[in-house]
Amino acid sequence: MKVPVWLILTAAAALAAGPLPIKDLPPGKVMMVIQPHHDDHTTDYGMGGLIAQFTDAGYESHFVRASNDEKDGAHGYGHNDLINERECKAAIAILGMSELYSLSWRNDYMDPVPLQELRAQLIFLIRKHRPDVVLTHDPWGHYDRNPDHRKVARAMGDAYWLAGLENVHPEHFALGVRPHRVPYLFYKARVDYGKGHEPNVAVELNESQVRRKMRAYSTHRNVYASPAMARSVREQLAQEGLELPDLRGLTDEAAAVEMEEWHMDWISRKRGRENGVRYAEVYYFVDEFDHLPGLKEYLRQHTVQR
Amino acid sequence: MRILLLAFCLAARAAAADPKVVLVVTADAADFVHCAGGTIAAMADRGAAAHLVRVTNDEKDSWRLSPEETARRVREEVEQAARALGIQKVHHLGYRAGELASVSPTELRDRLAFYVRLLKPDVMFLPNPYAEYVEALDRHYTGSAAEEARRAAALANYQPPFAQVGLAPHYVPELYYYAAPVDPRRREPESTATFVPQPVTREIAATFDRKLRAALALRTINFSLAMRIRQRLEDTGRRLPLLDTVDDAAVAKLVEINLRKLAAIGAEKTAFQLAEEFHYAGLDYQIPQKYLIPPR
Repeated sequence: MKVPVWLILTAAAALAAGPLPIKDLPPGKVMMVIQPHHDDHTTDYGMGGLIAQFTDAGYESHFVRASNDEKDGAHGYGHNDLINERECKAAIAILGMSELYSLSWRNDYMDPVPLQELRAQLIFLIRKHRPDVVLTHDPWGHYDRNPDHRKVARAMGDAYWLAGLENVHPEHFALGVRPHRVPYLFYKARVDYGKGHEPNVAVELNESQVRRKMRAYSTHRNVYASPAMARSVREQLAQEGLELPDLRGLTDEAAAVEMEEWHMDWISRKRGRENGVRYAEVYYFVDEFDHLPGLKEYLRQHTVQR
Repeated sequence: MRILLLAFCLAARAAAADPKVVLVVTADAADFVHCAGGTIAAMADRGAAAHLVRVTNDEKDSWRLSPEETARRVREEVEQAARALGIQKVHHLGYRAGELASVSPTELRDRLAFYVRLLKPDVMFLPNPYAEYVEALDRHYTGSAAEEARRAAALANYQPPFAQVGLAPHYVPELYYYAAPVDPRRREPESTATFVPQPVTREIAATFDRKLRAALALRTINFSLAMRIRQRLEDTGRRLPLLDTVDDAAVAKLVEINLRKLAAIGAEKTAFQLAEEFHYAGLDYQIPQKYLIPPR
């Protein structure tokens, strides 16, 4: 069988790919997390550890949740919305974030939302808080089946730089805000989705950041930490005469929380192992002058401190 | 059948070597100059009648100018830039910059297809809609509409009123997809070996000076770029000595540094010094190599 050369080269490149560079925090004081959903800030493909790292470093931080999350959970729409918002506030507090903006677009129905309207909201919030860093979904990610992810990512793909232009929404300036371009971006790298989610940096986490990420994740009880899941696992093990000693004596709910936290610990260790450190998360990082490929090297070499 | 195929191949190769009409589609004033200016100028030098269709009015990108004044100035400047590259005529569609997301893709496609049928180009340059991490999404929307326009313009049953006024179906045999080199995967092999544009490099040493002249004509955008860099550096306690005084000379130097580096990036891993990189769809795009039977 003839194997195409391009396939061999691609496979060789993948095998040759070593650990990612470990990225330190970029300079700044303000960080924003702009995500479609209440729980996107702390899923197993980022970003809880990095958020904790920013808040540990003293960054002022704000979380923007674009949808109302009414579909996410076992309750009715209104009830889910209220529970998810409450749990979101508790989870981001664990990570050190203080402020939550809920834009409350209808969950899972964001495809028909006018892009410019959502974009205008994000531009305004960027101008109000002037973040040095934004953590968000990758506008160029492939295979994302979630319409809310796609919509917010695409709106952010415009908003982060259009916010810096005076001729974009000049009406905002009547409120005292000024143009502001976001210089640094961390895009989620959902590596289990494959192409279009290839990270270019790893962020090393410490033990405390991983622990807080685990707690923040399991705080979303309405959608994670299902007691039924824990009961099912324990029943299956019992049929084989096995048990997990760490779960002995715990209620199903407490066992579910414990197991979710193991999962977050496992994924943080796995990303760490892949990149030569104990714990890590991986991202696609956009640097301040990456949009100027012809100038970024010159700027790096010739810029001096004032 | 083989003879027909061979005749088609020869005709296509002839067209590839000596284009008569070139249609350049750009979302904004700068993209076509920075990414494809040298190659366009080379084709114009070889006698091609080059036309530019500019989709947006560039009203957003300026420093301390209103959208209206920005649009007015950039329109004049892009005409100068086009002339420097040997482009005969600029067709301005006038959509508001940064707002193409709300424009019907079908409307944009139809307007571009009109020009394909009107001008009957042998070669078309278009923003690569598959290039990732491109900042101005207008480029993505424009590229997508242009690609579709090229296909639609060749179909007999597409827009019958066009045919009724003499705009017969036209098939563009060669496509150059261009994009700023920000996509880290842009040089990787495509996922399939057939019917997919492939990376190519075109040397631009002979036309680089004209490309630079074209870029320098875009004074409003260039000044905005220089001021934004300076502002960003000032806000973070830094400075670039070149931009201590932002005058014509400093801006011109910045533009030249930018263009020379872009051309050097285009020439990476080639024997060229200055080049532009594209994804190219020519003869092999229409008839994959495996179907091309050498004559006996």
